[in-house]
Amino acid sequence: MVEQPFTLWHYDGESGLRRTPRLIADDAGFTLVDERGSDGPIGWDALVARGTSGGEAVYGLKERPGWRLGLGGAIPEEIARRLPQPERYGGFIDRIGLVRASAIFLAIAATVVFAVMSAPRWIAPHVPPSFEKKLGDAIVGDFGGRFCNGPGGQAALDALTRQLNPKRLPLEVRVAKVPMVNAVALPGGKIVIFDQLLKEANSADEVAGVLGHEIGHVQNRDVMQALLRQAGLSVILGGMSGDAGGYFNALLSATYSREAERAADDASIAAMKRAQISPAATAGFFARLGVMEKKLGQASVALNYLSSHPLSGDRERLFADSAARNAQYRPALTRDQWEALVDICSNDPDVKDDMGWLGR
Amino acid sequence: MHEQDSAFAFEGNWREFAPIALTNLLLTIVTLGFYRFWATTRERRYLWSQTRFIDDRLEWTGTGKELFVGFVLVVGLLLAPLLFIQFGLQAMILRGYAAAAIIITLGIYVFFLYLYGLARFRALRYRLSRSWWRGIRGGSDDQGFGYGWSSVWKQAVGFLAAGLMIPWAMCSLWNERWGKMSFGGYEFSADADFGKIMWRYILCYAAPFIVLFGGLIAMIPVMMTMGTGDGDPGAGAMVTVFAFIAAIYLIFPLIILAYYAAFMREAVGSLRLTTLDFEFTARTKDWIKLFLGNIGLVVVTLGIGIAFLGYRNWSFFVRHMEAGGEIDVAALTQSITRTPGQGEGLLDAFDVGAI
Repeated sequence: MVEQPFTLWHYDGESGLRRTPRLIADDAGFTLVDERGSDGPIGWDALVARGTSGGEAVYGLKERPGWRLGLGGAIPEEIARRLPQPERYGGFIDRIGLVRASAIFLAIAATVVFAVMSAPRWIAPHVPPSFEKKLGDAIVGDFGGRFCNGPGGQAALDALTRQLNPKRLPLEVRVAKVPMVNAVALPGGKIVIFDQLLKEANSADEVAGVLGHEIGHVQNRDVMQALLRQAGLSVILGGMSGDAGGYFNALLSATYSREAERAADDASIAAMKRAQISPAATAGFFARLGVMEKKLGQASVALNYLSSHPLSGDRERLFADSAARNAQYRPALTRDQWEALVDICSNDPDVKDDMGWLGR
Repeated sequence: MHEQDSAFAFEGNWREFAPIALTNLLLTIVTLGFYRFWATTRERRYLWSQTRFIDDRLEWTGTGKELFVGFVLVVGLLLAPLLFIQFGLQAMILRGYAAAAIIITLGIYVFFLYLYGLARFRALRYRLSRSWWRGIRGGSDDQGFGYGWSSVWKQAVGFLAAGLMIPWAMCSLWNERWGKMSFGGYEFSADADFGKIMWRYILCYAAPFIVLFGGLIAMIPVMMTMGTGDGDPGAGAMVTVFAFIAAIYLIFPLIILAYYAAFMREAVGSLRLTTLDFEFTARTKDWIKLFLGNIGLVVVTLGIGIAFLGYRNWSFFVRHMEAGGEIDVAALTQSITRTPGQGEGLLDAFDVGAI
């Protein structure tokens, strides 16, 4: 291949006029000379490589934006060896090489993800209960006046809670008038049962399994963990493109981990066993919800509980199998207590029941 | 000045671009996305350097660091309101301050709308200030704060008039935005006329009604079969319903695209820089080809093709750009506008294009 003759062009950064000066080089620097005058001397070390343009190497000056020198063809050796190298991937990566840099980044990324995923487990137990309680109060308040106070209802609920709370955690369990089948554990030992769940349940024993599960989350401090995990993830995934990040985030934080769900179920079953309440009833409740799900569709808002607590045959079996055949079970609540609990909202004339804000 | 048929030409090729695209993808993945600012910069440096305008190539001088700083600033700016919407809002409503919560939320949305306008302006200004041609760059002396408000009220007017004034809002904002930009010592000007694209828009506007009406008419035979009770209406009904859904998913994006193509031709066609007149020649079918090609590329390469979308979009854009008239390069002097310090983080946050 015949080498192209050496070509040189220049813009001074002040006008758009293309020049073709002569370049006079020495060890320290160079001077550009044309019929209009000369520019220089300019030190070689002042040159910044700006990549290539149409096969020609382009150089600029740090202090003079727009000043450009383009060199093409066979660059004379005395000039070529003094020219700086252009950057490729960015400073740090160019110095250590692409492969090594990728390996380092990968290691850092894995460490960061691991730390963020596991940090909540270590931090959550050290969050002071008083702070968590304040946080819970701030989030829940009086639930917009939707807490129900029908006569005898709260007393019955407290009686049920006492049986399922062997560790005597400071709990605050309330029923809210919301037409959804759901129960949630919130920071600060607050548990809210939506009254539609009570209506769908056939007995206090069925509610006991669900309540025991939420108490399990409180006991294991899962709520604080979930909050911390969500906060941490939104920070690291902020670096990713909005869409993928948001999707991931929702995926990872909307629900507790499967292990946490399982642990809460185990806690629920253990508590029921101690209180001599049959877990078989809860299994029956799950089975009925499963049938409703098939009928109403998974996305049904009314069956909110299922989106945060996915039903599976395993879960139902877990409760069913832990019912001991020859154990002496007794009803979780008396008939009167259960009736007061089911009607806790319909017997309360003051409760608000508009739910526009929940329709999101 | 030159005998080429268009003043703009894209002279890159994808084999040259592939090493850039693939290493960008790799580094972006292993850094959990943080490399993307530097990736964008590398990509633009290549694309600009392969773009010829009249007789010389463009040069991109933006840096990854600028984009990163822009991003950090935006996170700071948006974090508080977003946190409020996420947590504070619910707490306020639960505590019975619903009215106050709604007012604050509305305020935050207006603030976001303002930021959106500001973002578009500043991104354009940033890009022009980092784009060089013949050692000269573009820019703007305006910070865009006024434009942000224009963007809020013009878009509000556009939507309030049952959406019929949207073409006016788009054209008027385009003209305002470009009217404040310059390249070297020359100012841009734009006088896009919404009247010229109104027919397209009305078609776009009426499309839902037309489709709905067409759907209803198509249902008549089905209803009649069901009414008489003979024959099996199942198949006919299913076909009609599927055709109806397909129509919605195919026709609506097409009509919106048809409007957008007309808007871009009018908007770019109205753009001037001193004696230069710009033109954008992409018709609706060109846009469709671009989008179908993009989708096909990503699907066939199982997602790796994402790394090439920037290349495809840029080359599409340049191939359809034209300019007429002459520019006196000796009189083209350096821009004296202030160069913004940080990149287009704000725009990045809203995920829209700058032009």
